[in-house]
Amino acid sequence: MLNKVKISSRQFTILTTLFTIGSAILVVPSGIAALAKQDAWIAALAGLAAGVIIISMHILLAKQHPGKTLVEMLDTLLGKWLGRTVALVFIATLFLCGPSAVLNILSNFLTTQMMPETPIQSLNILFAVIVLMGVYLGIETFSRSAELIFPWIALLYIAFIVLVSFDVKPTNLLPVLENGMRPIWPAALSFVCTAFLPNIILLMIIPSVDNRRNEAGRALLIGGIIGSVVTIVIITITIMVFGPEFTARSMYPTYALARKISIGNFLQRLEAIMATIWFISLYFRMTIYMYAISIALAQIFNLKEYRPLVLPLGMLLVVMSVIVYPNITYQNSWDTRTWIPYTLVIGFILPLLMLCLSGFRNLNKQG
Amino acid sequence: MRYRTPPIDKTKQAPTADAGITRNAQSRQPLSVSLNDNIKQVKQALGNSTDIIIKEITIGPGPGGGLPIAILYTDGLVDKQVIIGLMESLMMDTALTKRLEQDSAARANIVQILKSDVLKNAEIQEVTNFEALYNAMLSGDCVFLIDGLPQGLSAGARGWTDRGVAEPGTENVVRGPREGFTETLRTNTSLIRRKIKDPNLWVETKQIGRVTRTDIAVMYIKHIANDGIVKEVNARLDRIDIDGILESGYIEELIQDATFTPFPTLYSTERPDVIAAELLEGKVAILVDGTPFVLIAPAPFVSFLHSAEDYYQRADISSFIRILRYVGIFISVLAPSLYVAITTFHQEMLPTELLIGLAAQRERVPFPAFIEALMMEITFEILREAGIRMPKSIGSAVSIVGTLVIGQAAVEAGIISAVMVIVVSITAISSFVMPAYNVSIAFRMLRFPLMVLAASFGLFGIIVGIIALILHMCSLRTFGIPYMSPLGPLVPSDLKDTILRLPHWMLNTRPRLLNQQNTTRSKQTPPKKSNE
Repeated sequence: MLNKVKISSRQFTILTTLFTIGSAILVVPSGIAALAKQDAWIAALAGLAAGVIIISMHILLAKQHPGKTLVEMLDTLLGKWLGRTVALVFIATLFLCGPSAVLNILSNFLTTQMMPETPIQSLNILFAVIVLMGVYLGIETFSRSAELIFPWIALLYIAFIVLVSFDVKPTNLLPVLENGMRPIWPAALSFVCTAFLPNIILLMIIPSVDNRRNEAGRALLIGGIIGSVVTIVIITITIMVFGPEFTARSMYPTYALARKISIGNFLQRLEAIMATIWFISLYFRMTIYMYAISIALAQIFNLKEYRPLVLPLGMLLVVMSVIVYPNITYQNSWDTRTWIPYTLVIGFILPLLMLCLSGFRNLNKQG
Repeated sequence: MRYRTPPIDKTKQAPTADAGITRNAQSRQPLSVSLNDNIKQVKQALGNSTDIIIKEITIGPGPGGGLPIAILYTDGLVDKQVIIGLMESLMMDTALTKRLEQDSAARANIVQILKSDVLKNAEIQEVTNFEALYNAMLSGDCVFLIDGLPQGLSAGARGWTDRGVAEPGTENVVRGPREGFTETLRTNTSLIRRKIKDPNLWVETKQIGRVTRTDIAVMYIKHIANDGIVKEVNARLDRIDIDGILESGYIEELIQDATFTPFPTLYSTERPDVIAAELLEGKVAILVDGTPFVLIAPAPFVSFLHSAEDYYQRADISSFIRILRYVGIFISVLAPSLYVAITTFHQEMLPTELLIGLAAQRERVPFPAFIEALMMEITFEILREAGIRMPKSIGSAVSIVGTLVIGQAAVEAGIISAVMVIVVSITAISSFVMPAYNVSIAFRMLRFPLMVLAASFGLFGIIVGIIALILHMCSLRTFGIPYMSPLGPLVPSDLKDTILRLPHWMLNTRPRLLNQQNTTRSKQTPPKKSNE
């Protein structure tokens, strides 16, 4: 079903980058600054190092089962019934924590920052419609779109960084390691949980990558690194401009950052740039989530086509996105108490177990 | 122009063409031996149409012993001089007369003799059934029927009034050839041949249209064009089953990849130099008799933003102008919706002075920005359409009404704001920057849904609209090639002639997705001074 469509490794790199940037670029600086204060950038760098190890683990898993999606890997490792049950639990929970939560974050942002009077449901439906359109048109189409849009995103991002750099106060980063290494670790963990662990879902689309030159794994790694470096730069700049306290207190510090831009009293209030980058990276994060989930469900239930699943999943998505977080306090506590262990399970423990299992099998075969 | 005969009136031709539907069944029947029966049959089948000329002559010796021959042709489709020449060579040929007199076998071999010795015309074909006879006669050939033989000869005598090669009306250039295609297929193929003299330039001809039987020519350069695409074009053309093809637009709609899209997936042009350039890139041209617009397949999106002149002007200038065109697209699609979004939702994005000025103007306007924009954009579209359709002599009247009444007076009356007029004007002008009319109209139509999104969801709506638009464009294909290539999927080697136009010595490979075999275009090195 999957093997017919092929995307290039460049397209896969871009998809991975956009997926990693995803919601992180707007939301992460606040959370990580709350934990590590002015050392957030050190925490993020530590997170990047850990992330490289995690991604390498994902790549290793993909290399051991070439041409197989995550669901098919579980199928071969755990057997039909157990494997598919695990996959179903994985996918069902991911549907709630992934796309639904992301859509909720988006509409929350829109109603609090840009359009307070617009009903939240209409925003969710509108965005869900184009996500579904992307999923329905298939991975080839949305990869090509990503390739087309990516230079624009890069351009906007660079313009944003350059314009903001006029307001940078490097002293905000001092003193370095005021509280020692201790607050670094939880901050690094939260960074890894947002930027790297959910990338396990990319193993659902890795068989569609044209792997003739064995570049799919590299694309996964490079995309992850680019995406997290982009985020780290944003974190550092935000703290340098606002200082750790304001960054931690603000809900969307990067968006506030854009408001600071004022060049020659003419170029000012460029929130639109930030919002555009963010909408587009969010769009691709959601589309990849939804595509992977549709594919996974189709494989779990042995369907020939994933497309009939798209519309019902989309309706569920809109409903779940409205009710997934009842309020902002709930969301904050959920992000720290549930999201971190959850992603650790799916993005770290699950692949680790799978690696052990396949290693064990190989040993058995040889012995 | 070249001939005295009057132009063919399509409405007059219609009855004979209509008869073709009923004719088909019986027309496969072979010619009869008797000349009189054949003539009767032809007259009956064509309804005694007055433009069908049947001349009976006898050649050979004496009264009674001569050989009766009928000459059939359609008045107005033939060159009278050629007909006269043919008749002269038949009747005045003393050698033929002598041969018929002396050799009794000559009568039986008359077809061979006429073919090889008498009719000194290049295009002679044997006709054995009525189908072929009608086809030859109604295409402008002259048919000879001989008494006593169930076969005839058709001789090419085509010549009708046509428009001469003139400057194309739609794609103007400052520098470049001034000739454009005409309505005659043969003239058009010759215009291309004159530019490409390689023997590998192949022409395949076919007739499409049950009733109109329009000649279609498929042209490509063998070994440069991708065989798969040529095969696909031919297969799609052969699948067409329609009564009439009156313009290449019919063909375009019947062979394009996607129907429900505002974007054209075949390129059409009136310029032979553009066709020659595209053929050299490995594309396939489809020429249709009766229209100066020639189709090119495949046609990815970027080709609609390239003008022939880009290759004739300096590379740096052309690159700059191309970038201007891309900016033009953005303005023509986004300007009104951005205006609506900013004035409705995001006033804070404007500098304070500008915002105050804008608010002061908008104060007098009773409508929301969206209604204002919609009114003006629709008015502009109406003006544009009127400008195309109305007689040229009243053009100035419409422009006065358009600029003064709708522009200035509407602002003074407080119906719309002056800024809105500026937005609409810049949108309109930007949309005309695009060289291809069909793409610019597609983008102009897309403004309206984007304006609705902007009015209801502001900037967020615009971004959603753009993502949807890009998704749609990326999902299109043109003859198997992604529509947005070489931008999405990115083909780095093709970027040299996409947004920028690099100097010719750097354009040394052909577009990669099109043709996999012969990709080297030139081995040109950068120009050097000779005294170095």
